[in-house]
Amino acid sequence: MDGPGRLREPVLITGLGTIGPWGGGSGLLAESLRAGAPLTSEIDRSARYHLPEGACRACLVPAGQLGEWLSPGEARRMSPPSKLAVAASRMALRCAGLTGGEEAATAVVVATAFGPSTNTEALLKQILFEGPESASPSLFMESVANAPAAQIAIALKARGASLTVCQREAGPLIALGTAAAEIAAGRAPRVLAGGVDEMTPLLHALLDRFGALARCGQDGEEMARPFDRRRTGFLAGEGATVAVLESRDALAARGGRALARILAWGSAFDPTAPPTGWGRGHRALARGLARTLQRAGLSPTDVDLVVSGASGSRDGDRLEAAVLRAAWEGAPLPPVAAPKAVTGEYGGGFLGAAVLAAAGSPLGPTPGFGEPDPELGIVPWDGTPLEPPSVVLATSLAAGGAAAWVVLGQGMG
Amino acid sequence: MAGAGGLVAVSGIGAVCGLGWGAAPLWEGLRAARAGFAPIRRFDPARHRTRLAAEADDPPPELRRACPGWRRLSVADRFAIFAALEAVSGAGLAARFAEGAEGGGDGEVGVWFGSSTGGMLESELFFSDFLRDPRRARLSALVSQQVNGPGDAVARHLGATGPVATLSSACASGALALGVALEAVRSGEVEIAIAGGSDSLCQLTYAGFNALRSVDEGACRPFRADRAGMSFGEGAAVLVLEPLARVLARGAEPLAVLAGAGSSCDAHHMTAPDPSGQGAAAAVEAALADAGLPPEAVDFVNVHGTGTPLNDAAEWQALRRVFGPRAEGLPLVATKALIGHLLGCSGAIEAVATVLCLHHGELHPVRADGEADPDLPVSLVFGEPLPLPGARAAVSTSLAFGGSNAALVFSRWTGPAA
Amino acid sequence: MSEVVATPVRIKRLIVESLNLEGMRPEMIEDETPLFGEGLGLDSVDALELVVALEKEFGIKIKSQEIGREVFSSVSTLSNFIEGRT
Repeated sequence: MDGPGRLREPVLITGLGTIGPWGGGSGLLAESLRAGAPLTSEIDRSARYHLPEGACRACLVPAGQLGEWLSPGEARRMSPPSKLAVAASRMALRCAGLTGGEEAATAVVVATAFGPSTNTEALLKQILFEGPESASPSLFMESVANAPAAQIAIALKARGASLTVCQREAGPLIALGTAAAEIAAGRAPRVLAGGVDEMTPLLHALLDRFGALARCGQDGEEMARPFDRRRTGFLAGEGATVAVLESRDALAARGGRALARILAWGSAFDPTAPPTGWGRGHRALARGLARTLQRAGLSPTDVDLVVSGASGSRDGDRLEAAVLRAAWEGAPLPPVAAPKAVTGEYGGGFLGAAVLAAAGSPLGPTPGFGEPDPELGIVPWDGTPLEPPSVVLATSLAAGGAAAWVVLGQGMG
Repeated sequence: MAGAGGLVAVSGIGAVCGLGWGAAPLWEGLRAARAGFAPIRRFDPARHRTRLAAEADDPPPELRRACPGWRRLSVADRFAIFAALEAVSGAGLAARFAEGAEGGGDGEVGVWFGSSTGGMLESELFFSDFLRDPRRARLSALVSQQVNGPGDAVARHLGATGPVATLSSACASGALALGVALEAVRSGEVEIAIAGGSDSLCQLTYAGFNALRSVDEGACRPFRADRAGMSFGEGAAVLVLEPLARVLARGAEPLAVLAGAGSSCDAHHMTAPDPSGQGAAAAVEAALADAGLPPEAVDFVNVHGTGTPLNDAAEWQALRRVFGPRAEGLPLVATKALIGHLLGCSGAIEAVATVLCLHHGELHPVRADGEADPDLPVSLVFGEPLPLPGARAAVSTSLAFGGSNAALVFSRWTGPAA
Repeated sequence: MSEVVATPVRIKRLIVESLNLEGMRPEMIEDETPLFGEGLGLDSVDALELVVALEKEFGIKIKSQEIGREVFSSVSTLSNFIEGRT
């Protein structure tokens, strides 16, 4: 490697597995993104955690997605995120044409914002209401943040490095960059990288109480409206998205094709951010974004498409817009897509959208967007057909201050 | 740039645990083989299956004065900030990070942290109210609940603008964070890496490990015949990593060199280690390869050594695989016997203990409780510190719940080459 | 008059419920079927899960040293152990 995040040889993305509100598979995700319709359903409010006038909808995984990928025996004690992560990993390997079970040297880097929430909640209730002696050992072992990564390794017999990143909304792109670094440094021939989260009623209610979630507007619809003047928050989502990363040599040795290439990655921090919100440090973050592009020998004007992590969050989108405008220094921005309007926040759908965009999958309109916010000055893409982008910049800004970017290129060439 | 491919030095360390606030009380306690286990005060242990932990005392008053927004910080956040400030000061960088100074600058400072539970201790109080009656919701208790709370709090306090990430891979978190930080400094991605971990006691993990019957009723006895499980600890540890050339250029003295890092996964079982030790051995071998050192160069090992029957047996197999016949005579330092298992922080605080041993040229002992295990013919350091002034390199292992294994190789700083 | 449920039956119900054994009914488990390794194929975490359930159901405390192959070999051995404690 020549330098930080700079690659002599690009790292290839050769497979993608994804389960989310769109169902199972990147084909269904691509269709949903093209259609540009949000994938929401009613969240269960029967436990009365929710505020009476609070958010009612979330982007939830429909039932029945896992049977094809997990046997009942192995899934018996798995937490929901572990099941999603193992299924998405198997899907990703199949997509990459890697069905031989030869993953002994494969590393795993998984991001999760909240970890196994169902198990944690159940365990807390046992300990706090029944007493510590009632704690369930199998609930506990599957309540830790690294349970999904551990189960992926057990399922695939993957004995390379195993890392779990917990950095909220920036986690998936940090995981992708960390995984790419393992390949680039020659420490692993293959890495599974991605994100997983589950959205429980309790977590949804708490996010809403923090004012984070989209609320019904005057039109009575609960929608995420990225960059829109009327935005009220994001749609909480769940799912798992896993990408297979390999070096060009490794892929050439086994034959196959790449969906996309990782050209560079980078991350930064805004110390003005409060623990559960976004800050004011757009200038320093913009320099971080520019440094990331420089590692690929690129400048902002080389970017054909921004796949933005903007989610409809009032403060998050404001900061994202300020970072992008500062990074482009007055030059016109390329098309900016905001797929979280379709996929929701958390669960890796955004990561899947970025890879698909780099692979040439057309992105559709941005649902929920109708009125530009003059303070932000960004109009997310309306779905007009675009030339397949050569350079895609994926962005994410986490509550609490972390930021991460990945620069993607096309698979071929 | 300075970092590209050169050696990475540990320029400062900070720590807090049951032995006290600071690296000095830590070292003093370790040398004296003083164990800090006492009945838990952070919550009522009466209905838990065991009672003991090595808890940290109340923080020094000057820490509270140094931290704006003190009340919103979790115990784990406060541990982390203390350790970071101590490490930064010890590295001779206090002025750079003083309030109003450029601090993190233009992405030159990154923070990598390991934690298992973040602010869960405080959140348990919230959930105890909220889950019974959601109208009793004081959300402020949840503000620092996240596992990335302590790492973010450090980055915020220091004004870091480079990469910041928290890893949460159970007992390997701290060591994995150091490994990622090492790579970031080597590649030149950052000039200064603030790397470490923090975890406070909480009921969730205490009850959880007890449900797994992994906890000793008394103080843990790693590698001994009648060992009966782990003991809990809490605290934080931070190491400042910089290019060696940079440290020397400003006239500072490195404490040690972080020569290499390696990791693997057992891929065996969620709670039990691979009894063959092959996963752990692979991590150690990867770390040695990364350091460019053969096993013969290693003069002692700071073991993971939790004191559970299965962990220690598997770790012995790993040591045999890596070190062969040398394994029996290789001095082992079992830090958890004195400060307990700090979970997500353990890899970081045991890295600090390893650096202290190398720097002082002596290995800290533990008490020789019970009998040796004839199946594990190890050479634990007992009773008195073992002088080892010529120790060249040491390995520190962290073998996690869920199978993630991490190993770090530290080498002694011997002064600039003539 | 309420039915007194025999200890082995209660244990079998607990096994199925607390271990989330899909597709299994208590009456499918024989008194002498090995629970671990062969037979039902449970593992160490399942044993500990069963311990928590047994403690709650029978109002007893099971010490760590008692969680071993002899006591947990089969429903029959477990039943003898529990009846000795209650």
